[in-house]
Amino acid sequence: MTAAVAFGGLRADGFALSRGERRLFAGLSFELAASELLLLLGPNGSGKSSLLRALLGLAPLAAGTLATGAGPVKPRRLCDAALYQGHAGAAKGELTAVENLALSAALDGTVAAGASAGDRALRDALGEVGLARQRDVETRRLSQGQRQRLSLARFALALRAPVRPLWLMDEPSAALDRDGAALLVRMLDAHLARGGAAIVATHLPVAPAAGRVRELRLDAFAPRLAATPATRADNGAPAR
Amino acid sequence: MTELGAFAWALRRDLRLAMRRRSDALNVLGFFVLACSMFPLAVGPQREWLMRIGPGVIWVAALLATMLALPRLFEHDHADGTLDAMIASGRSLPLIVAGKLVAAWLVTALPLIVLTPVLGVAFSMPDGALPTMLASLALGTPILLGLGAIAGALTLGLRAGPTLVTVLCLPLYVPVLVFGAGAVEAQTSGLSPHAHLALLAAGMLAVALAAPPVAAQALRISVE
Repeated sequence: MTAAVAFGGLRADGFALSRGERRLFAGLSFELAASELLLLLGPNGSGKSSLLRALLGLAPLAAGTLATGAGPVKPRRLCDAALYQGHAGAAKGELTAVENLALSAALDGTVAAGASAGDRALRDALGEVGLARQRDVETRRLSQGQRQRLSLARFALALRAPVRPLWLMDEPSAALDRDGAALLVRMLDAHLARGGAAIVATHLPVAPAAGRVRELRLDAFAPRLAATPATRADNGAPAR
Repeated sequence: MTELGAFAWALRRDLRLAMRRRSDALNVLGFFVLACSMFPLAVGPQREWLMRIGPGVIWVAALLATMLALPRLFEHDHADGTLDAMIASGRSLPLIVAGKLVAAWLVTALPLIVLTPVLGVAFSMPDGALPTMLASLALGTPILLGLGAIAGALTLGLRAGPTLVTVLCLPLYVPVLVFGAGAVEAQTSGLSPHAHLALLAAGMLAVALAAPPVAAQALRISVE
């Protein structure tokens, strides 16, 4: 059912991010290999979403370099290999669930561009995330949790296609019920088992059985508040 | 999805969204018709006057109606996260923008052009001038939309966005207005409108080539 993917590894070095004048974190480095899950932890405002966005070139990096197995890359180059789910649902309220899924899956390259609402793969994916009966409901009439399930349907389709080995998810379980959270863990499991990798920003514990889980606490890299000389160094020049 | 697939994807998507949100397009069209039909009532039924001001009034109304549609071009996609998704997909953003622009032209500008013959009657426009009027609108409205897209992308997410779009666009719109209305003016006064139309066509080609990549780059900066 799932298609294997080849993930060449990812290495971030000396990442620093600011929002406006405020430095969110600095000197953050991590590595990610195939079949690994990186959990981004930290309180609200610690830069989890910004880090995910920066990895795709959606937010500017104050400092740091990014490399894949093939060598250094610009963040924007990562987009082709990544499947990103932002914290906004990225669905049009006036389109139905299946129409939204068809549009985003076509952009992901996981279904044919002209897939119609009756497409079998789309129907199956919606059934898998428990939205079979909401297929033709306008997305604005769905609950927050149902919208999050709709985002998961994209990932269900991606599991069947040998594309986009790196999943980037921003709070995928915030509004999910217990079944939904279990579904998310099962899908992450399957993704890691097929050789994929994922970076997930979350408040909730996610512990898939397959693969290796690493945790990255972003607040550990936040500049300290007291204006000691050491902090000023943290705040100023990009750490390497 | 091929590179051109991104263009077709955006075109189809925005046309479908426009079908679901018909009131938006009707709003623009309604404004255009209302603005044009107020003039004969206000100026009075003297044929010579109406003939004289007709092309200018229709052009100004088309310009303002297009500006009415500009804030929606990227604003909604930005707010609901679909713009982020488009950029994060790694597909060609200029082609996606081009698809959106073609869809916007079909939804907002084409209906104006289709209705113009009817409004021409209200201004007792001579039959000979109508083809020139339609040609000038067909060549000029893509310029308005393309320039507006760049301004809209640059000001995306700013609180004063719509106001800034107006301020940024109006000076750039003036030549389009001058040549558009001028083409019809030339035709009715017995001169050839070809010089005006050729300039509009050149402008349209330049905007068609430049607007998608420039707007795409501006969008990338705006989402950061």
